[in-house]
Amino acid sequence: MLGDRFKKEYKNIIAKFEDKNSALLSLLHEIQKENGYIKEEDVNELSELIDLPYSKIKSALSFYTMYNLKKVGKYHIQVCRNLSCHIAGSNSLMEFIFDKLKLKENEITEDGMFSLSTVECLGSCGTAPVIMINDTYHENMDLEKLERLIDELRKK
Amino acid sequence: MPKIIIDEIEIEAKEGETVLQAAERYGIYIPRYCYHPALSIAGNCRMCLVEIEKMPKLQTACSTLAQEGMKINTKSEKVKKARQDALEFLLLNHPLDCPICDQAGECYLQDYYMDYGLYKSRVKLEDKNRKEKRLDFGQYLILDRERCILCTRCVRFCEEITKTGELFVSNRGDHSFIDIKPGDKINNNYSLNIADICPVGAFTSKDFRFKQRAWFLKEKKSICLGCATGCKIKAHYNENKIYRIMPDPNIETNTWLCDYGRMLYKISDSRERLRYCVVDSNKMDIRSGLLKIFDRLNSQLTSDKDKILVFLSSNLSIEDNLALFYFARTVIETENIVIDDLKEQKIEDGILLNTDKTPNSKFIYQLKNKYKLKTISEIKKEDFNFIIGYDSEIKKYFPKNDGINFSFLESDTRASLFPIKTYFEQKGSFINYQGYLRETEKIIDNDFSIELWSAINKLANYFSKYMPFNQIDDFEKIISKEGYKNK
Amino acid sequence: MKIILEKEAFDIETYIKNGGYMALKKAIAMNPDNIIEEVKKSNLRGRGGAGFPTGLKWSFIPKNVKDKYLVCNSDESEPGTFKDREIINKNPHMLIEGMIIAGYAIGANQGYIYIRGEFIKEARILEKAIIEANKKNLLGDKILNSNFNFKIRLVRGAGAYICGEETALLESILGKRGHPRLKPPFPAIKGLYDKPTVINNVETLATIPYIVINGGEKYSKIGVGKSAGTKLFSVSGPVKKPGVYEIELGMPFKDFFENYLGNMKEGENLKAVIVGGSSVPVLTADEAMSVNLDYESLQKAGTMLGSGGMIIIPERQCMVEALYILARFYHHESCGQCAPCREGTGWIEKQLKKILAGNAKSKDIDDAYEIANNMMGKTICPLADALAMPVMSFITKFRNEFESHIEGKCKLCQR
Repeated sequence: MLGDRFKKEYKNIIAKFEDKNSALLSLLHEIQKENGYIKEEDVNELSELIDLPYSKIKSALSFYTMYNLKKVGKYHIQVCRNLSCHIAGSNSLMEFIFDKLKLKENEITEDGMFSLSTVECLGSCGTAPVIMINDTYHENMDLEKLERLIDELRKK
Repeated sequence: MPKIIIDEIEIEAKEGETVLQAAERYGIYIPRYCYHPALSIAGNCRMCLVEIEKMPKLQTACSTLAQEGMKINTKSEKVKKARQDALEFLLLNHPLDCPICDQAGECYLQDYYMDYGLYKSRVKLEDKNRKEKRLDFGQYLILDRERCILCTRCVRFCEEITKTGELFVSNRGDHSFIDIKPGDKINNNYSLNIADICPVGAFTSKDFRFKQRAWFLKEKKSICLGCATGCKIKAHYNENKIYRIMPDPNIETNTWLCDYGRMLYKISDSRERLRYCVVDSNKMDIRSGLLKIFDRLNSQLTSDKDKILVFLSSNLSIEDNLALFYFARTVIETENIVIDDLKEQKIEDGILLNTDKTPNSKFIYQLKNKYKLKTISEIKKEDFNFIIGYDSEIKKYFPKNDGINFSFLESDTRASLFPIKTYFEQKGSFINYQGYLRETEKIIDNDFSIELWSAINKLANYFSKYMPFNQIDDFEKIISKEGYKNK
Repeated sequence: MKIILEKEAFDIETYIKNGGYMALKKAIAMNPDNIIEEVKKSNLRGRGGAGFPTGLKWSFIPKNVKDKYLVCNSDESEPGTFKDREIINKNPHMLIEGMIIAGYAIGANQGYIYIRGEFIKEARILEKAIIEANKKNLLGDKILNSNFNFKIRLVRGAGAYICGEETALLESILGKRGHPRLKPPFPAIKGLYDKPTVINNVETLATIPYIVINGGEKYSKIGVGKSAGTKLFSVSGPVKKPGVYEIELGMPFKDFFENYLGNMKEGENLKAVIVGGSSVPVLTADEAMSVNLDYESLQKAGTMLGSGGMIIIPERQCMVEALYILARFYHHESCGQCAPCREGTGWIEKQLKKILAGNAKSKDIDDAYEIANNMMGKTICPLADALAMPVMSFITKFRNEFESHIEGKCKLCQR
């Protein structure tokens, strides 16, 4: 179900662009803000709401990796798996997350608090290893920092 | 008109033509998957790469406009290698389905491999990507995602020709696949064209699935009789059985075929096919049946000639209608000849389907004008009880006809009934809505039905009357003499 | 010397105090064609990775067309590259000013910034900067009381490296899949919404104010030979001082490595260098130590300046594993439109995985090299080339490590 907030906001979003097609990526970002992911029914609803064919929405949606099509945790941990972060030790971050949270790639914890995925280069290689949790970059990560971060988030 | 040179042959290209199109007109074939003359250019298969002087990289011939002075080479070593490489990439993840794939024998991958490939594969079977197979995509289509080479002809067809946009590419990279909204199907009445244009066995026809190997099929050209558009078709048959109908693309009338028209061939061996005569509720074979029917007409002629009405039909050929017409005039000696009410003729869906669902109205109207025939609404139906005509048409107006009906399919009429050959089983001329006179071709046959004009001929002989035709070819003279229009 | 990162300015007041927007003032009074001339004279080359001469690109825009667009490519997704982010974080208004001048020069009234979706903080910074500029009549209608109108629209991507390719970027702005277009027609003729469009990298645009104030000739004298100006290098890997450096083009790598990067960290040894983003051929340590950081020298050495995304690879990093990681990246990012890239990237990743695991033969290494070679020059966009070049250079220069994996004897991986 598209939230009320989206239904109020979407016309303003479209107004910022040339046309509703050009607004699509932003509209999808907005929908994802509600639940952290985009459901199949959201695509159908959006299609009717802005009168854009399902095929156009789904073909774009399935192309871009920032859109989650499955439920993610309250804190979605994304670990960069590209070269510089690998050299800096991203593997040990992944292992740590598995040890501490019993979380493997593309999984979500039972309590729904955390989910894990690997991503490609985040564009901050100088402070590798880098992870992204929801909208925030966490740079110069090490096991200590990671543990503190996870504990903090757990408390929230 | 830019002059270009392809493989040292001077060619005059048309304004706006691509290298591929210009080459093709001069008989130089450049292999391709994603290019189709009726669709927009995609340029993604990379099979049509050619060498163009002064350009360091190979260029796709399908998307390169022919420009004055261009020198193109389609036979160099570089081009040969590029074709081999393009094939290798397309076949990298392609499944080894040939033994079970309907496309075999008319598959661009097989054909091009024999022409341009012939290399040893370096891929192990277990390394190939797996995708979903045998997906139900509509009344007539099955999709095999593994075989798909993502040329996007199908997507472009739905967007540009039927303008229904059902199909789209989903996901990214080599996980991409052709998709449709869940629960939706491609039911836009032109879906089987997608099976035609799919160069590989990804989209295949359910109707044709597993029925016959393509290399056993023979081809005859004919016309579709589903509506007044009268599309040109190719019938593929073997051993007296039609397996499928394909379009015979032409500039005047049709590039495509509608699904409805494609299925009409099934009438010939339909379960409801009329395979016997019915007289006084008795079933009998064609020979005995016709004799009985002649007797009945004889009785009616002597007792109550004025109650006889002859109903011409735009569902029937020129030959059959002329036979009926002459018969009415010279044997029955009546002016009670009628046709159905006039129908508007135009394309109703923007593509091929005509508002007039009968194939020969244009001829009937010419006949009407020449001989001042009346339409069914212009006569008093109660005046007649012995109608001679095409069963489906008569039934609409005379459900309790006691006359003579002829039909392709079984009928519960009270009239005497005899089976006529479909136009897959005989030659027949028709004039389509544009005024083109075209013929069907005899493709298959049987021994339980008769050509209508032949039955009429026999009937005339019975009454010792002369008809100006004994064989189908005799009609040609009549048609040209009487001046029935051929554009 | 530094041009873009000389002085930081997180808000418009500071930027103006640093001399900001003087270039715009000067530009507005100039003939647009003269601005293009100055950029041509400067020898500035596109800083995104392709290195196309900027002045030349601007000159392709037709004159007598009403609707034109200037697009800033802020998609920065090339592995090892993080310099545009630095510019946006430290000096966003230099980019904005450069954009307005570029728009004026080519006659565009609408500008776009396409920023990668993950740069959420940076997108907010740019939004704020745009509002600030609007308030001071540096954006909007009748800029600085001239007849020039220019607006900037910020568009966020959603996770696709391929959208850094010019025409894929345009497709993405239209709300479609990021599929690169067939060229010709080029964006200068048929770009965004089928109108003439210039697409420039963040760093390229941020260089424009300097060129306008000081003249193209002055800029051309910085650097060496035809490699004019300064370049931002983003350095990652186990050096003592990774980060973003702005240096004059032409500096020997050896100097850069020792005097700026501080050499390797304790206990690390240099094995290989990727100088310009993962898409360029790799250099061995020896090769790197004998090149200069400019377009010509690097081309002569068989590699490219590219985006300036420098990855320092230590001895302890197995090259087979490194290549596998890169192949996995390109496979993940391939848009899937054309067969050589779509199938080739996936297949190469699979091959490297097998080689890495010790399940391959020597022939498989040759096959991987050949398939990569066969992909080159055959595709709609250069992503296939971007994988092919690392594959071919890694296998050629570090063959012994690949052979070790075949024999199951890689000491670095214990495999």
